[in-house]
Amino acid sequence: MSATGGEAAGIFLDLGARVAETLARLREARGVTVGGSARRAVWRHGKTTLYRYLPLEQAERGAERPLLICFALVNRPYILDLEPEFSLVRRLLEAGLTVYLIDWGDADDGDRLRDLNDYIESELGGCVRHILDAHGIEALDLMGVCQGGVFTLCYTALHPQQVANLVTLTAPVDFQTPEDLLSKWLRGIDTELLARAGNVPGEMLNAIFLSLMPFRLMQQKYVRLLTGRSDRRAVETFVRMERWIFDSPPQAAVAFTEFIRWLYQENRLVRGTLSLGGRHVDLGRIRQPILNLYAAGDHIVPPAASAAMGRYVGSSDYTACAIETGHIGMYVSRKGRAEIPGRIISWLRERQGRRGPAR
Amino acid sequence: MQNPFAASPLSPDAVFAGAAERFFELLKTFGLQAASGAGGAPEWSSVAGALAQQFEQWLGASPALGASLAASAGFSPAGAPWAFGQVPLGMAAASGGEGENPWELLVRLAQLQGQLAGHWSEIAKSSAEKFVTRLRAGGAPVGELTSEGALKLYELWVECAEEAYARTVRTEEFCHLQAQLANTSTALLLAQRRQADALARAWGLPTREEADALQRQIRELRDELAAKPAAKGAAKSGAKPAAQPAAKSAAAPAAEPPARPARAARAGERSSPKRRAAKSAKRARRGRRPRA
Repeated sequence: MSATGGEAAGIFLDLGARVAETLARLREARGVTVGGSARRAVWRHGKTTLYRYLPLEQAERGAERPLLICFALVNRPYILDLEPEFSLVRRLLEAGLTVYLIDWGDADDGDRLRDLNDYIESELGGCVRHILDAHGIEALDLMGVCQGGVFTLCYTALHPQQVANLVTLTAPVDFQTPEDLLSKWLRGIDTELLARAGNVPGEMLNAIFLSLMPFRLMQQKYVRLLTGRSDRRAVETFVRMERWIFDSPPQAAVAFTEFIRWLYQENRLVRGTLSLGGRHVDLGRIRQPILNLYAAGDHIVPPAASAAMGRYVGSSDYTACAIETGHIGMYVSRKGRAEIPGRIISWLRERQGRRGPAR
Repeated sequence: MQNPFAASPLSPDAVFAGAAERFFELLKTFGLQAASGAGGAPEWSSVAGALAQQFEQWLGASPALGASLAASAGFSPAGAPWAFGQVPLGMAAASGGEGENPWELLVRLAQLQGQLAGHWSEIAKSSAEKFVTRLRAGGAPVGELTSEGALKLYELWVECAEEAYARTVRTEEFCHLQAQLANTSTALLLAQRRQADALARAWGLPTREEADALQRQIRELRDELAAKPAAKGAAKSGAKPAAQPAAKSAAAPAAEPPARPARAARAGERSSPKRRAAKSAKRARRGRRPRA
């Protein structure tokens, strides 16, 4: 390999021009919006809001049972409706599903003592009960995303009569698989001390997630933006993603530390030692049909952490599927977009006519 | 449609510009080396030192779990933005009080940060060595250093860096260090807060401890209220209009439900007291669990 001074200067000039162009596009894209699907708030409690998405005019014939999406506490749910092209919510609406979504809001100082039982029993439970009453039905379909997947598993185990079908996306179950770097880092954290320090800022969560793969996540992706497709639309999508990645909400101190201690440190879900509000969470009680979708290249929830679900649930109708993408790629990659909505819709349709689980 | 970014301090173009600047620094290093080998094979081993140095500096300024928590407690030299909150009295406040001695904590934190720096150095060195080894093994782009060639070098560099990083940060020693950093910086933050509380008390202002005690009281009261059967019955029949709207408008659901959302849910989109009472009776007949 050789390069003359003139050639090297040419490379820098070329790249310099690309940087300037990309920067200009990034600046133009600062005003981008997210969450294009129309929705209305139908229930609120504390910081939690339950949204119902309005049906699309061009949607297919509606389904019988509504679908409630429970997202993680550690990120914002608008990733599911980032823009029309990358919107799981929109695909579900187009298929005629009635879609509800929980937005946990931002925990503030008054929420320091809010615990996991509050989030799962009172907030998620409140949303479920609202929907059941509003539709006059006995059971709904539940979809849990990432940490929200853990919540939906817990809720279904505790209230099996209220859930007809369960869909989980990148949901960890075994928190101590060998590949789980986050778990290794969190094992030695003094959770009592951390809880006393108060709510955990979202920025700290962002930093932790980024530090799992710092060069790819904090350097390489920007360089790729320089060299890849950088038309206005692609840059806008990039900016939306960036905003989402850096937009983690603050975490209620007690709930956050309970999650670390009970799940990452003590792995209670698979050891069968998790209790919420004095009630034992037994995954074996989940006999509902389950569709478990996880990412084969996930650096936050390793595939083995999610695939373990099949060993612990009591369902005889359990379908697991690894999608060849990463954690965030599940919602925004072409692969995820091409596979995930279709799988969820057809899986739910196959089970729509069936009755809910036996009580 | 919403724009959740309006108030966000994050500026993607600034982050991008920072990454581009570091990318250019790397390219300069690659380019200089390539130029030095013009007419012959470049000696990449001489570039390893420069790469490792650049890399180590970047690592030192980047967040890792322990470092994040240390920064969050206000003890990062870089003054990272992810703070639990500003420490009101600065370092001078970290003295006296109960619990661990803040100065001892500070010393321990400095020692831990020194150990962390040692790991960054190890990762940087290992990355550079890997990079050079792979280049020698045929990973280097052949021919003139074009934009594409430079990018290939960059991709190889990132791959080597990520591998070296992963190998170190998965070790028990590193994980233990991370946890110690996090725990020590949290302990230091709490020590400072104790000091701030002491001052607040002296000035007759409410303290963090008192606010926490009040929150606990409110929570206990809520739990007690929810546990009372009479309260449940009253809520089921919609007999608490002051706290619970009889029916919420779906379009304007701003009204705060009562303490237990389960009961709030009963006062749903299309309920009336009569209807709710009938539903409750129906549920009771079916032996359905009370919604708590």
